[in-house]
Amino acid sequence: MKKMKKLKIPTRSIGVCLLVVFCLWPGLVLALDNAECLDCHGDEGLTRENGSGDNGSASLYVDADKFNHSVHHMNDILCVDCHADISALDYDNDLPHPRELAGVDCAACHEEAAAAFGDSVHGKIKSKGITMTCYACHDYHYVTHLAAASVAERENNFCAKCHNPYQSHEWLPKQAEHFAFVECTVCHAPGVQRHIHLKFFDLVTNTFYKGEEILKILGVGYDEFMPMVDTNKDGIIDKAEFEILELMLRQKNDHATFHAELVAEVEAAAHKVNRGVAEKNCEKCHAADSPYFNSVAIVLTKEDGSVDQHQVDRAVLESYSLRHFYIYAGTRVKLLDKIGIILIGGAVAGVLGHLTIRILTIRLRRARKNTKT
Amino acid sequence: MSENKIYIHPAPVRIWHWIHAAGIVALVLTGFQIRYAELLGIMSLADAITLHNYVGFVVIGDYFIWLGYYLGTGKIKIYFPDLRTFVPDAIRQATYYGYGIFKGDPNPHVMTPDNKFNAMQQKAYVGLMFLLLPAQMISGVLLWRVKGFADYVNLLGGIKIIDTIHVILFFFFASFLVAHCYLATLGHTPLAHFKAMFTGYEEHH
Repeated sequence: MKKMKKLKIPTRSIGVCLLVVFCLWPGLVLALDNAECLDCHGDEGLTRENGSGDNGSASLYVDADKFNHSVHHMNDILCVDCHADISALDYDNDLPHPRELAGVDCAACHEEAAAAFGDSVHGKIKSKGITMTCYACHDYHYVTHLAAASVAERENNFCAKCHNPYQSHEWLPKQAEHFAFVECTVCHAPGVQRHIHLKFFDLVTNTFYKGEEILKILGVGYDEFMPMVDTNKDGIIDKAEFEILELMLRQKNDHATFHAELVAEVEAAAHKVNRGVAEKNCEKCHAADSPYFNSVAIVLTKEDGSVDQHQVDRAVLESYSLRHFYIYAGTRVKLLDKIGIILIGGAVAGVLGHLTIRILTIRLRRARKNTKT
Repeated sequence: MSENKIYIHPAPVRIWHWIHAAGIVALVLTGFQIRYAELLGIMSLADAITLHNYVGFVVIGDYFIWLGYYLGTGKIKIYFPDLRTFVPDAIRQATYYGYGIFKGDPNPHVMTPDNKFNAMQQKAYVGLMFLLLPAQMISGVLLWRVKGFADYVNLLGGIKIIDTIHVILFFFFASFLVAHCYLATLGHTPLAHFKAMFTGYEEHH
């Protein structure tokens, strides 16, 4: 009996330990890594019937390379973390998992975004029997970092899939310029934070430089960029430091310049787009003290789509170092206002002075006229 | 008409002038609203931009009426000073405006249809009509469609450079408007030149 007791105690302890480990690490329980899924789904010919594709089929192919560059893969999210109703694969069957799977519940992880979306015009259409899924905008398996995305990428991959902005902004002057430099949600999601992104741009090829490309031109690494530019070490690139950076850029590559865009923070609030609440007050942005320009940053894009952001003083927006960006009233050059005051003030002063002398010399002219007559 | 009245401003010139004058006033007002959107409340920014664009094209069209008329009639030469007499004429005219006018001296320049402008006016208008106004029109068109004309905008140094040219000229035209209206009161009566620009006839005194 004693011997048996000695054998039982360690077995029970090990069992409890394993149970705890398995509970804390679901991947171990399932023992399903992405490679197993891609054994089948990595086959370009894999389809299912009753789809919307050719011959009524739908592709089940997942491009492993593209998936590996997705934000979910980078965060170690497994296929079965989203396709959570697959608990095991039964290779005795032709189809090793259930034929019909439940829809992916993005809200299980993205709670805030889901709540904001539910309270948006896109979420509310559910009451009309139309369900708009997350992946209608965000794609299925290849969701990438958005922080580095340009306005064009943000629009083309999202809003512009369904909306033609030219059909619904008749009131808006300079439509093409707004659509090119301002992300839709800057106006359409009033609760969102806004930033001016300054990205390195090649004027000849009309393309953005990747971080490593521009750093190679400047001859520094990601970690050395800010120490090189921010010479006074206050953590902000001020006007003088920006001018030096721009000068260095011109010395090393005269095609490179800065491209500025007004973008929304990638956050839950960006989903809360509703009818009738879009910002239509132009002066909110087109004002010298607009809060839209409080956050300005140089953005260096990385290979994985993530970014290094370096804070820039908003005064840079009004400088000639940033020659390819101008917002009426908002980023006006203050020096020109002084020139205006001198020109108009000079004209008014000259006129008033001449008029005053004319009035004061009326008697003189009258006396002379009388003498002549 | 009495003998001391002379027909100086033909109808096409008068039509061009008043369209141009109304256009420049509208452009200056909407220009201020656009540049100082948060400070002025003449109209909304969207309306100011729309109006500024429409009026801008009217002024551009009007410029070509002026150019067509003066080139077509050969009268364009009245804008170009005689280089042999320009300096003494300009000194004489400046002396008159700065001194003689207060004493009641006669204007040294006598206006005729073929010699409408005095030396200072010629100098001002030749720069204005052949350099500054075209520069303002071109920069305005580029700013009207920054995206569409992106290549030209970039070629000229970027939108901020184009805007700087447009804004400095805007301030110049605004100040010119003040000076021009005042100088127009320097006829034999304060309203004589204004009246002449409606009737076409200037009175000689």
